[in-house]
Amino acid sequence: MGKGTIHNRDAFLHRIADRLGRNRRTDGVKRPEWSQRPQWNVFKDYTSEQLLDQFKKQCEAIHTDVEETTGELLPKMVSDVILRYRGKKIMTWNDPRFESFGILSYLNKNLSQHGAEVQRWDEQRSREENIRLAEKADVGITFSDITLAESGTVVLLSDKGKGRSVSLLPENYIAIIPKSTLVPRMTQAAQEIHRRIENGDSVASCVNFISGPSNSADIEMSLVVGVHGPVRVTYIIVTDR
Amino acid sequence: MKVSLFVTCLADLFYPEVGKDTVELLEGLGCEVDFPAAQTCCGQPAFNSGYHKESKEVAKHMVETFEGADYVVVPSGSCATMLKEYAKLFVDDPAWQERARALGEKTYELTQFIVHVLEKEDVGAVFHARATYHTSCHMTRLLGAREEPLKLLNQVEGLQLTPLSHCYDCCGFGGTFSVKMDSISREMVDAKVNHIEETDAEVLIGADAGCLMNIGGRLKRQGKPVKVMHIAQVLNHKQEG
Amino acid sequence: MGIRIGDKAFDRRVEKGLQDSFMRGAVTGAQDRLRTGRLNAAKELGDWEKWRTLGKEIRQHTLENLDFYLQQLSEKVANRGGYVFFAETAAEANQYIRQVVQEKQAKKVIKSKSMVTEEIGMNEMLEDDGCQVIESDLGEYILQVDDQDPPSHIVAPALHKNKSQIRDVFREKKGYQKSERPEEITRFAREQLRREFLSADIGVTGCNFAVAESGSISLVTNEGNARLVSSLPKTQIAVMGMERIVPTWEELDVMVSLLCRSAVGQKLTSYVTGLTGPKGEGEVDGPDEFHLVIVDNGRSNILGTEFEEALHCIRCAACINVCPVYSHIGGHAYGSIYPGPIGAVLTPLLDGYENNKELPYASSLCAACTEACPVKIPLHELLIKHRQKIVEEEKRTEALERIAMKGFEAAASNPSLYKVGSKVAPLAMSPFTKEGYVTEGPGPLKAWTRSRDFPAPEKERFRDWYRKRKKGGGEHGQGHDS
Repeated sequence: MGKGTIHNRDAFLHRIADRLGRNRRTDGVKRPEWSQRPQWNVFKDYTSEQLLDQFKKQCEAIHTDVEETTGELLPKMVSDVILRYRGKKIMTWNDPRFESFGILSYLNKNLSQHGAEVQRWDEQRSREENIRLAEKADVGITFSDITLAESGTVVLLSDKGKGRSVSLLPENYIAIIPKSTLVPRMTQAAQEIHRRIENGDSVASCVNFISGPSNSADIEMSLVVGVHGPVRVTYIIVTDR
Repeated sequence: MKVSLFVTCLADLFYPEVGKDTVELLEGLGCEVDFPAAQTCCGQPAFNSGYHKESKEVAKHMVETFEGADYVVVPSGSCATMLKEYAKLFVDDPAWQERARALGEKTYELTQFIVHVLEKEDVGAVFHARATYHTSCHMTRLLGAREEPLKLLNQVEGLQLTPLSHCYDCCGFGGTFSVKMDSISREMVDAKVNHIEETDAEVLIGADAGCLMNIGGRLKRQGKPVKVMHIAQVLNHKQEG
Repeated sequence: MGIRIGDKAFDRRVEKGLQDSFMRGAVTGAQDRLRTGRLNAAKELGDWEKWRTLGKEIRQHTLENLDFYLQQLSEKVANRGGYVFFAETAAEANQYIRQVVQEKQAKKVIKSKSMVTEEIGMNEMLEDDGCQVIESDLGEYILQVDDQDPPSHIVAPALHKNKSQIRDVFREKKGYQKSERPEEITRFAREQLRREFLSADIGVTGCNFAVAESGSISLVTNEGNARLVSSLPKTQIAVMGMERIVPTWEELDVMVSLLCRSAVGQKLTSYVTGLTGPKGEGEVDGPDEFHLVIVDNGRSNILGTEFEEALHCIRCAACINVCPVYSHIGGHAYGSIYPGPIGAVLTPLLDGYENNKELPYASSLCAACTEACPVKIPLHELLIKHRQKIVEEEKRTEALERIAMKGFEAAASNPSLYKVGSKVAPLAMSPFTKEGYVTEGPGPLKAWTRSRDFPAPEKERFRDWYRKRKKGGGEHGQGHDS
């Protein structure tokens, strides 16, 4: 990837330093020890069972259906949810987890009799073609990379096979959540991302914190579920992974 | 215990009975009440209008007037707050700031003084009426006196208190605001009057003469039968009636 | 559009607001819901005061080291292949955006909600150039379709409109056929806008918080439009006010937690999206090209002054949602895209006192705003500071008021003058007094008595009673004689 450019910076930052009444600071600034750390008290010392309970409770508040299953029964569960959505065109990430759980082969075998077909986000295909397929799909499926109990959130880290559009363009969205990805809240996810940055790893170009279907209250403050993104969302929790 | 009363200019000029009841109430609770006659006004009208040079002179006069007091008791949350904020006026004048700070520290709003210094909640008052209580903004938000008036009123024999809906909304007084922006102020006080009427109260109780003058003035103009009383008048009410 | 909206004088705008009974009903209802939502969210979270303290500390530290964090941010963005442009003025920002649009030969720009692009008037500039600009936030879209009606709230821009008004606008301008049910209107907007997302050349987003350590920008939304704007078009331009930045993802967590709860009472909004540069190597969607425009536009003049805390604002609108003045006059009365208490503080700072001199007075100083602010900006105190500036530096107050305040100072700092004045007050007021009340007062009382009676001063002041009582009874009181 080429390096980008920066314009007009020095005059701009010098002005800021001037207004602050000191010389410009170009290095050596450290975050202080904050006097409070209330974010670490949320669901502190909760077991994974307790976190799961909190997660499920929150999903009710955010209009999101929750299913629980085991790794073994996951392919069938995914298939059932698709059928419930009357999905005909399905799009998934190109993510090795789909194969390792045997989801793809199950869906291909099981859904064809219902006239449904499964497409994968494919980095070999053009941008236009991938977006077109995702836009035509009525169900999008991804895994959750990190899952937040407090807010009922799945965190998706973009990558080659992990297109942004899969969880965004179809009207129905299914997120598969290995229970092991569950943490108390955004704090733990943010810390993990921060830790990776400190280690010199690069952060995904798009980190999405998704909490249920899209919604709006812009008309008379009355909540409408389903605006520009998915209208319906199901989380499938894999309890033994 | 010896207390110095800052009666406030509004009570001195317009509501002398509030001052009288405050004196009798405190005396009844065993205090010796002094009225330093040099006292004038806390200076808030000038301060809130941005005339800080002018309010400084007033503040100096008040600091001097109450310098010898052990406790300064004020039957107004707003004026008590102003006394406590004097120190902010003297950021460039450490000597005066120290004197202002000393005044702030020994200044108490009436109900706070009774509950926290005298450690009394039942003052032996008797008052048979359906009433509601207006929580003044400065008293609750700036001074932090939220519970004290209710603790005292809850002990008044015969008093039926109905909570005031939207009690947290300003009545529209705001000192010079009520004349500078009188059309907005009128709408605010009307909303307050509507909520008071919803409670079916015969009496509106408050702890700040400014708010009471505003709400009372509107009630009077509209010919509403609700009586307006300062909390000192209620707490000093000893027999049926 | 720019920061200023409408060209009527303040009094006329207020009058218009006060007479708009639908708007006032809508605003009051919305305020009730938003207030309850915020309080419940804060209560459920627990430790709310600690969160606020932490939020304030983070904002303060970041602003104190703003040059450092903006430098770090820009380097990280550039390392990821992004283009960063520092714009001192609105004109510079617009010029840069215009240049990108021209280079891309873009005909259609799609936007997600961004107050700073409203502030710099980006839409008008691009439209004058013949480029179509489409707002995709539902509220903003409604306003745009209704001939660019200005926003009246920073989170819910179309708060002043009711659903039948919205239905009529869509009918007239877009051929909408269905009912006024928000679900149907929303569905219609989804279908209309989906086509635009797919065909837009450039996506423009705002930025809730940039993250210095990684060169990321974050977008906090519920509708999903910001995700579409940043996923589908080949070029993305993010525009941020220079103060909207945090050091690391750890602080992003705190600020987003405060923002979502304070703005809409949610734990997290449906989408919180962190974007770092253009799409990654081998990735398919997301922008090929990423531009970040960092806007000063008067903000640096606030740094290092007594108003610096105004830059701590995270645009959650909690202060607006509790403001009783806003509730009666609505957002348009402020004449600024930033209404309510924060607007009354910020607008004169960014746009000067000349056209905004009434704003600091459009508050009863009830401090509901200060109490609600998740980063503890002392909003009502900043309003008083504005008033002080208007008195002392701008000398813009009326002569009559200045004389009155001088008189007040003289009387209130001089006990004998006070005593004489208060003694003669009942006499002076007696021509206006009827049964103990003034119903049509002179001078400043005129405004008061337009809607309220005013108590006539008592002939026996408190101090007279006290002195008599002491002389008579004498058992109590050590008061000085008056």
